[in-house]
Amino acid sequence: MLKKLIWNDVRQNKLMSAATVFFMTISAALLILTAILMTNLLGAIDGLMEQAATPDFVQMHTGEVDETKIENFAKSRSDVKDLQLSLFLNLDNSRLTLGEHNMADSTQDNGLCVQNEHFDFLLGMDGELPEVSPGEVYVPVCYRSKYDLSIGDQMTFGDQTLVIAGFIRDAQMNAMMASSKRFLVSASDYEKLKEQGQEEYLIEFLLTDTADSSIFATAYTAGGLPSNGPTITRPLIRMMNALSDGMMIFVIFLVSVIVLMISILCIHFILSIQTERDRKEVGMLKVLGISRKDVRKLYFTKYILFSVLGALLGLGLAAAAQNPLMKQLHELYGTGDHRVASAAIALLAALLTQGIILLSVRHSLRKTDKMSALQAFFQAQKKGRGLTQYILIGTVTAACTFLMLVPNNLYHTLSDSSFVTYMGIGNAELRIDIRQTEDINSITFKIAETLKDDTQVRNYAVLKTVSYQAVSNDASAVNLTTEIGDHIAFPVNYLEGTAPVKENEIALSILNAEELVLSAGDTIKLLIDGEKTDFTVCGIYSDITNGGKTAKISGRNINAPIIWSVIYVSLDQSANSEQWMEQYRNMGIDVVNISDYVRDTYAQTLNQLRLASFAGIIIAALVIAAVLVLFLRLMVERNRYTISLHKALGFTCAECERLYFWWGILPAVIGIAVGLLLGCLCGEGLCAMILRSFGAYGFRFVISPLEALLEIPLLSLMIAALAIRLGILDIKKIKAYECCTGKE
Amino acid sequence: MDTLLTVTNLSKEKILHGISFIMEQGEMVAVMGPSGSGKSTLLYNVSGMDQPDSGAVWLKDTEVTSLSEDEKAELRLNRMGFVFQQMNMMANLNILDNILLPAIHANKGKDGKKKAQLAAKAKKLMKKMSISELEKRKITEVSGGQLQRACICRSMMNDPEILFADEPTGALNQSAAEEVMAELTKLNREGTAVLLVTHDSRVASQCNRIFYLLDGHIRGELSLNQTIDAKHREDKVNQWLGEMGW
Repeated sequence: MLKKLIWNDVRQNKLMSAATVFFMTISAALLILTAILMTNLLGAIDGLMEQAATPDFVQMHTGEVDETKIENFAKSRSDVKDLQLSLFLNLDNSRLTLGEHNMADSTQDNGLCVQNEHFDFLLGMDGELPEVSPGEVYVPVCYRSKYDLSIGDQMTFGDQTLVIAGFIRDAQMNAMMASSKRFLVSASDYEKLKEQGQEEYLIEFLLTDTADSSIFATAYTAGGLPSNGPTITRPLIRMMNALSDGMMIFVIFLVSVIVLMISILCIHFILSIQTERDRKEVGMLKVLGISRKDVRKLYFTKYILFSVLGALLGLGLAAAAQNPLMKQLHELYGTGDHRVASAAIALLAALLTQGIILLSVRHSLRKTDKMSALQAFFQAQKKGRGLTQYILIGTVTAACTFLMLVPNNLYHTLSDSSFVTYMGIGNAELRIDIRQTEDINSITFKIAETLKDDTQVRNYAVLKTVSYQAVSNDASAVNLTTEIGDHIAFPVNYLEGTAPVKENEIALSILNAEELVLSAGDTIKLLIDGEKTDFTVCGIYSDITNGGKTAKISGRNINAPIIWSVIYVSLDQSANSEQWMEQYRNMGIDVVNISDYVRDTYAQTLNQLRLASFAGIIIAALVIAAVLVLFLRLMVERNRYTISLHKALGFTCAECERLYFWWGILPAVIGIAVGLLLGCLCGEGLCAMILRSFGAYGFRFVISPLEALLEIPLLSLMIAALAIRLGILDIKKIKAYECCTGKE
Repeated sequence: MDTLLTVTNLSKEKILHGISFIMEQGEMVAVMGPSGSGKSTLLYNVSGMDQPDSGAVWLKDTEVTSLSEDEKAELRLNRMGFVFQQMNMMANLNILDNILLPAIHANKGKDGKKKAQLAAKAKKLMKKMSISELEKRKITEVSGGQLQRACICRSMMNDPEILFADEPTGALNQSAAEEVMAELTKLNREGTAVLLVTHDSRVASQCNRIFYLLDGHIRGELSLNQTIDAKHREDKVNQWLGEMGW
């Protein structure tokens, strides 16, 4: 009987049943997708790092190293499991060609290496250690699709040609956010090319499981070991890897949470309409002696069945959608065997979604429970359009507009050239990097002199990076990668305070400020030329370059070795930046357009974000359409008598339709406006929270006015209007005589 | 005769004031009175659909007024039957399924054979009420009289000890009302006690006793000899109602 009741109910309420299953399906699909992607991403990254035996601590160093001193240091420490000194041969990008593509425009430090012996392995696409023959090269997998490369293509450097024999996954430098890329060559080719590049050491340590990498880093600095370059730790490598796809997963998660909330709201509304309509039947069942539990079961069983169907459809949808979304993930980190974990987590996500929805259904059914037989049977059915319905239309359109807007704003913010200021890069047009050369100081000086005389240059700032030790009160020291120069011309984003101007002022990156427990106004001692000098912290800024641990002080004489120099340049409006860059590249100067740099660094993230943002728009549009068609049809159904009466009194069908159209569109318009406001205000806070965990602080949205203020609201409005028109189609079918036949 | 229903000092808000009466097994009792006199409220409180403020209702040895909501639901399901003015049925089920609904619910967990027996019983009842041909019809496809007879079938499925009827003919035309009353009296003659609320003296005249309710008090009681003919009984009821100030 229960089966028959449910089946007949579903048949007679096709729209409401379909809408309920739709909301359950879409909520389940999105949460399952988030769970699957997250499991696969973290599983694949961890799997790759495990397989490649990624080091726990890496000190990059340009210059000579005393191997014995490093070995002795390693031996003296119980937390060191293994030590390895590996070499990276930095190549001049302008002389490097991959397939048909010259790498002059690449913002990455591309270089050669041979396979490591103990750990930090470069793995082939099947997880194997490639055996590289002379004349062959294995290329970082991230370049395969970027430059459309395939096995057999050629890589040339100067007059040397190597054949691409395969692609490698480099757990340490896989992500585009890691600024270097390693190409694997044979030992003989490395030797041949050695003279044509600049060698850099990677001093790598594998630590014991219980080791604390920050204690180790302090001890490394205190040991006076080579440190002319950035320091990288295993958590940082993991974070860099997780970032690109993580951003897309965050967007899908955001969409899934909002859709789940919308679904709960809509299902609650559908249920309340149904119980209201079935009020007399519920009363009759109670009068006949059917217990509250059984009456509830009648409704709840139906929702359990819907929920099972929703979960199954959701699983199917998520399974279909996961492959295109995981393409990049599989390419970069391998497929791994996460089928069991994925299936388990997908089931768990399905259970969680449906559990939450069913709990809300159960909660809504309490109203029916509490109703006595007499109340249910004899109290008049609530009539009217109900404020709840308008509030729901407004809420849903607001939430959907929010969904369309936030990922879009996030995409525009990340792709905007000013986003570099959150990364610790000055807000300039062009950037010249002077690295891995014998005499960075004099080359920097020469370039600066050239720029000074260049009439096309509007402004430039030279920033030289050295490593100073910061000494704390307990005499322990940490290395501070300090950028010296003019920080006013092309400022980064300051979370607190301002850029250093006076000689004794220092600005710290947020990670350094947190580690040293300092804020603006505090003082810090730096060991400069053997003397302890007091500096006042004048500002804290956001930085995700070089491990995020940097400092800035104003221009001064430098006696310490310069690790690298950066020159920020802005050109006159009349100048052609492409030609200008070409001219400087021909002089052997490594110059890049900062917007290219951003595009290069965030290419993977931006692609994924664009995809997620597009999916967000489609889902939001579908939800707006489904909710409005459903609600308007219900509104017309509930007001059948009134509409009939209107018609009997002489109102035309078009007039009735117009009335209901306005009743639907007004809350939708208010909802869209609220959604826009929330998307720009709260969305920014929400994204800032996520970006903070990636190291970008003080985040502000860069809004594309055309998309945010015109295209998205217009799209929402058009979908809403179309859905409302569809929802009120039944008005035509209502006859004027119905009100006289006692249907009320 | 054994006592079936005992109502003692029943009061409900300002509607019922200390109502007491007894019904014997197999009796058919009508409650009459002007609108607002508390007839329906009395029926709801006696049948356990509502809880009185004070007083007690006993169905044989079960104190209805001391039971929980769920226990009262079980009592209504297994020992009581209901017929209302509005022929309420589940729109999602056909006539036969509607009749079967409380019986299947009361026999939950029983095997298929039992269900088949229930269906046979429902069909037998339908035949008795002359609505056999309506088995597969939707509730919107039958007349009011047919629907009310289907409601009586439903109320009889669990062999109730007492049938409560609230204006069972109120929404029917005269011929349909006569048909329904004929079925109710037939059931009563077969042993089912009936407590009905009505405005109609013709309906009431077919009962053994009539209570006259006014302002929440029983103001009068009339016993009727069913051996005398219907016309005389109806005249007697009308005369008595006139004396009561009807």
